[in-house]
Amino acid sequence: MRNLLTATTLILSAFSISAVQAAEGDVGVEAAMDDRYCTTCHGVEGIGNIAVEAPRLAGMESWYLKRQLENFRAGIRGTHEQDTQGIAMRPMATKLSDESIEDIVGWVGSWEYVPAHTTIEGDINQGRSTFQSCAACHGANAEGNETLGAPALAGQNDWYMVTQLKNFRAGFRGAHPEDTYGSQMLIMSKALRDDQAIINVVSYINTLQK
Amino acid sequence: MTNPVSRREFLNLLGAYGGTSAVLQAGAALGFMPSSSQAAEISLRANNGKKVAILGTGISALTTAWELTKAGYDCTLLEASHRPGGRMFTVRAGTVIDEIGNYQRCEWDDDPHLYFNAGAARIPSIHSSVLKYCKELEVELQVFVNESKTAWVQDDALNGGKPVRNTDYSSSMQGFVSEMLAKSLGNSEVDSSLTESESETLLGMLRSFGDLNEDMLYKGSVRAGYRSGGFLDHGTKKDVIALRDLLKTRLASNVMVTTQEGTGSGPLLMQPVGGMDRIIYAFANRLGNRIKFRAPVTEVMVKDDGVEVAYEQNGVTEVLKADYCFNCIPSHLMSGIPNNFPTEYTEALNYIRRGKAYKAAFQAKERFWEKENIYGGITWVNAPIQQIWYPPHNIHGKKGVVLAAYNFGGANYTEMSQEDRIEDLLKHGEKVHPNYRQMAEKPMTIAWHRMNHMLGCAPRWARVRGGWSDKEEQMYETLRQPVNGRHYLIGDQSTQHSAWMESAIQSAHYALADLDQRVRSEPA
Ligand SMILES: Cc1cc2nc3c(=O)[nH]c(=O)nc-3n(C[C@H](O)[C@H](O)[C@H](O)COP(=O)(O)OP(=O)(O)OC[C@H]3O[C@@H](n4cnc5c(N)ncnc54)[C@H](O)[C@@H]3O)c2cc1C
Repeated sequence: MRNLLTATTLILSAFSISAVQAAEGDVGVEAAMDDRYCTTCHGVEGIGNIAVEAPRLAGMESWYLKRQLENFRAGIRGTHEQDTQGIAMRPMATKLSDESIEDIVGWVGSWEYVPAHTTIEGDINQGRSTFQSCAACHGANAEGNETLGAPALAGQNDWYMVTQLKNFRAGFRGAHPEDTYGSQMLIMSKALRDDQAIINVVSYINTLQK
Repeated sequence: MTNPVSRREFLNLLGAYGGTSAVLQAGAALGFMPSSSQAAEISLRANNGKKVAILGTGISALTTAWELTKAGYDCTLLEASHRPGGRMFTVRAGTVIDEIGNYQRCEWDDDPHLYFNAGAARIPSIHSSVLKYCKELEVELQVFVNESKTAWVQDDALNGGKPVRNTDYSSSMQGFVSEMLAKSLGNSEVDSSLTESESETLLGMLRSFGDLNEDMLYKGSVRAGYRSGGFLDHGTKKDVIALRDLLKTRLASNVMVTTQEGTGSGPLLMQPVGGMDRIIYAFANRLGNRIKFRAPVTEVMVKDDGVEVAYEQNGVTEVLKADYCFNCIPSHLMSGIPNNFPTEYTEALNYIRRGKAYKAAFQAKERFWEKENIYGGITWVNAPIQQIWYPPHNIHGKKGVVLAAYNFGGANYTEMSQEDRIEDLLKHGEKVHPNYRQMAEKPMTIAWHRMNHMLGCAPRWARVRGGWSDKEEQMYETLRQPVNGRHYLIGDQSTQHSAWMESAIQSAHYALADLDQRVRSEPA
């Protein structure tokens, strides 16, 4: 994955540029050929980027990240035509090798946990009572539970959780026959009556940030 | 000719113009043309070494750095990518396309004529600032041919899917439109609002515009070329394509219009000899090691007396302290970079959407289009590839690079695999040129939505068609004001006419003028 190529140097050798004043000569360096692209979309050290709707990775559990990357690669996630954000992510993952996934997971794991900014406001009390059923898997403080395959929610971008809950509820995520954990979430999300219920529960999760 | 389908509607429309219409008012059109546009004269006060951090190496950043360096400022440019230029990107032998999840390396023949402008490609005559720097930096220009009447129009709904020459299509369309207008002149209200001499002028123009016969009817035109003969023998005209057939394709709107707007395309445009990035390297080579590559900015902190910019290089985080900062990092990427901008500034940054664009090109084994009498211009295709461009340079050379797709909405190319993209361009292209597939060597594709460190084409400000809302105008003004007089946002994102190099350069000039005023007003 790391075969380095001298791109711009090659380009420039083909052209003699007249009137070049700088003595330093050609500019540009070889392109990096690893797959450490994540920060372009997901922000510096994976803090998340609302403008391109890429969620926070800083603090994401390595087992969860690995599974999702593998799901994207295999088309288990990000293939439903209504899953806009998943569809955007999938092509980034289709060509990843196992080694690349491992490299990325290790790299992401080196970033510090940073709780995301909150952007939504719902009824926290309503959200708290709804959350009781979530807590069974995700933990009372939304800290996650590897044994059950339930990721931490605390500190994740609220706008991202809203999108994902809506996607689960509508069957845009978790409907793939091989998405074992996703299908559990699909069923659980049916308990969320409407969009307001989603906003409420996510508002409550916002209060649980580490 | 078949009966014009919407003649009544058409006449009604004309009638609606009536005598009072502004279109028919005398005098209004005179003096309409703005005087020729001139590049701004930049004269910055010479400065002893104030430090400036310039983020990104888009054309706006390079302009800024060049002007400030000439005036004696101490500039450092931080570029996340391995190459300078952002959306001014030329692909040729050896070039890496750093698309996320779709890395490509160009293996075309090493030949200066064989290149593909994957981003900006065309320079209009009135983009004075672009032209000014080409002149100043001795970037050689040549004419770019934006329209060729021998290029094709292809739509499965037209002519059984067989391509039609642009000239066959446009001559007939012009003929029918002229014929309809001429007829309406005889009996509509428009008539009464024109003087006899005006009517005559208009009729004369219509006759020539549509190549109408004495009865003001369109019966075919030699403009479409001859079916046979034409040099040693008398030429015989081709058959007329019936209006109803012409209307089978929506491509009419593309084929009939080569000048989309004053600043936009026209039949005559320009390009740098050897590729659009000649402009980029003309700046970058002069700036030399002031540019740091693969040095992504990771934090921007505006202070009372300057700006602190953190960036990463070789795995180490460094901090650059500067008096001023000029930033052309795309707004949607700034949203993922920690900063201490005021809330309303951040809100405005987050508001701008990123446009999609997709281009593809291949090296052609032979210049097959020349055998079809095409020497440049655009073939219009009613498929997502939309356009095929033929290189206007190196005529009669051995090979050439064909632009095989240019989709401005992006279609679903962004998500497509490289294999699917290639099959798509070959499949549609071979409807136009039967030997296309055999001629295409090593296709390269670029979906700007997935380009590393860009993730988009043109910034999109307005959310609805037809203009900017007050809120949008307000946010725009917010971003045009430097944060604390220290941090300037530049690039076509801070202009009201994105997707042009000229806009990006003018944004730099605007910011530089502001800086210069501040510097001049400082106590000596
Ligand atoms: C397909 C296409 C066709 C076009 N056609 C034309 C045309 O024919 N004519 C025309 O005039 N214009 C055209 N344009 C528009 C023109 O290319 C742009 O308006 C212009 O190049 C924008 O320059 P900019 O200064 O805004 O910076 P950009 O080119 O947007 O550069 C931004 C820079 O920021 C860098 N960057 C990103 N993240 C970081 C970070 N964290 N740290 C440091 N640096 C970072 C990027 O690598 C890049 O160098 C076209 C654009 C596209 C995409």
